[in-house]
Amino acid sequence: MSSAESTVKNKSLRQAMAGLHTWGGLLPSWLLFVILFGGSIACFDKELEVWMRPTLHPVGETSLTLDQVSAWVQKQAPKPPHAIWMRPPDERQPYWYAGYEPQNELEPFVSFTLDPQTGEVLPKTLGGNFWFTLHYNLFGGMLGMYIVAIAGMFMLVALVSGIIIHRRIFKDFFTLRPDANGQRAWLDAHNLFGVVGLPFHLLIAYTGLAIFVTFYMPAGLKVGYKGDIEKMFSEVQGQFGREELKRKTDHAASIDKLVLDAKRRWAASGEGGTETGWISVHHPGDKAAVVDIRRYDRSRVVDFQWIMSYDATTGAFLHEQKPYKPGYTAYAWLTNVHMAQFGGAIVRWLYLGLGLMGCAMVAGGLQVWLRKREAKGGWGVGFVRAMNGAVLGGLPIASLGLLYGNRLIPNTVNLRDHWEAYTFIGVWIAVALWAIARRNSGRVGRDLFSVAAVLALGLPALDVLTGQPGALSAAIARGDWRVPGIDLAIFAVGLLCAKLAWWPRVTKEAPVKVRAKRERRELAEESV
Amino acid sequence: MLFLAFGLNYLGMTALCLAMSRHHKALLNSAPSTARTYGLRAVGALLLALGMALNIIELTADMGIITGLLQLMLAGLSVGLLMAWRSGWVLPLSGILPLSGLIALLA
Repeated sequence: MSSAESTVKNKSLRQAMAGLHTWGGLLPSWLLFVILFGGSIACFDKELEVWMRPTLHPVGETSLTLDQVSAWVQKQAPKPPHAIWMRPPDERQPYWYAGYEPQNELEPFVSFTLDPQTGEVLPKTLGGNFWFTLHYNLFGGMLGMYIVAIAGMFMLVALVSGIIIHRRIFKDFFTLRPDANGQRAWLDAHNLFGVVGLPFHLLIAYTGLAIFVTFYMPAGLKVGYKGDIEKMFSEVQGQFGREELKRKTDHAASIDKLVLDAKRRWAASGEGGTETGWISVHHPGDKAAVVDIRRYDRSRVVDFQWIMSYDATTGAFLHEQKPYKPGYTAYAWLTNVHMAQFGGAIVRWLYLGLGLMGCAMVAGGLQVWLRKREAKGGWGVGFVRAMNGAVLGGLPIASLGLLYGNRLIPNTVNLRDHWEAYTFIGVWIAVALWAIARRNSGRVGRDLFSVAAVLALGLPALDVLTGQPGALSAAIARGDWRVPGIDLAIFAVGLLCAKLAWWPRVTKEAPVKVRAKRERRELAEESV
Repeated sequence: MLFLAFGLNYLGMTALCLAMSRHHKALLNSAPSTARTYGLRAVGALLLALGMALNIIELTADMGIITGLLQLMLAGLSVGLLMAWRSGWVLPLSGILPLSGLIALLA
């Protein structure tokens, strides 16, 4: 093949991919922004949870025993539950988390958060979990998960097609020319955020899809396990389980003593520590009840929980979890790389930074699309402008609104968490209506940056005024930067928004350079 | 050690950035010679490898490779953003970041 022919062929591939990248990127982009933003914020879900529970005391010894909590949870269930789950407080989650799984699989898990000292139920809040749920199913259950999966696949398509149409990946690696004309500057930004963060974007989109692969590609599960997903997971994880006998018993072994036994067994291995994670009792009150004690080990990417199973009635040791099979180890590695629960705060910060870089990539791409078509105007331009304001501005502002709602709604209000949700939705609708009404004013960006700036700059004051008196300074004195860190980080975001809203950069109109000899050729990526 | 690793990643990315004519001109007012381009690329690659090695030493290969990659990307982003808006900071930071990382490690 002559070189001329191959150029023609390359050009057509690039152009084909340019169309795919433009439209396959544009249509799911707002959804992707919600997913990426939610996931980035969810890196600090536990920290936000602590922020949203200002009545919590700093980490201290818990005065509750597992036996007390287990008895309490069982009393909360109207009918004997299928299983109860408990998580004792630790440094990152300084409260008891406990709940029950109803007998009927279709009913949701009912959970409670308990004060570690008094055992009282803490005021309800959506908590840091809110962004996590938004991230993986948009509060849409199974349907939401499928929608997120489709968006994830479109992200992979956009990334790969983006690589193909980008002619100068290495040459323009560090290039961002804010003074260039609008489309060029935004294209630079879109490329910088996309290319420099490419390994992360690819990895996060791929591993995100891998987490729920059993739902997305269930054929193997249907054939091998007749669709019984729990059986599959318990088998590949080497877990123990047994059927209910339907014979009641009043006797129960002390779970606290069983935990001591489990810790002795873990300690014998000498690595991974003996911190406990979730502890469950399946078929509580039944003769076949089983206590599972899980280890919490985040010192490596794959977290082997090394479950110790005991007979809940006699306390007899029944089973210890076998090491993961290689296939499951690979799966666990992929999911854990996505969830970033290993490696501590430094990993969470890195994931947050790169996740926001993904958000910036999406925002930049949308601006490229707009700048290219703005001159012509029309229905599509108005639609994209409205959506940009409503989603790119709406979600962050509504998230700040949720934090305000969390602190301002009195603890005595019934269904407090619902009111938090109404605050979030209400703020988002307000921003969306504003963005739609003023979509062609050219001022929506600055309006929304102003609102975000006011909310973000006021957040530390809100924390001081509505939190426990002296809690912030005590936390700083302890060297516990979780809550002050959230205040400071959001305050810094507020400063940036204020800068963008009130002191925008005046772009000098770059003089048009006349170049006689070199003909201006349109790059494929400029045709998007 | 991770702070030093980030400093080295940043320094390495700065070297790779300077190896490009456009950025070399922007920061040092002249186009780099061919030898200098190759030299900067080699130094940059070496520094990035060193940054990765420090991550692996600190966190084992299991986690170090991931944090190393994340640092690498954030360092690249930092250089890119600074080049656009605060190009005067790029070179000073390439000294300050690794040095303070070293001090933090030794202190």
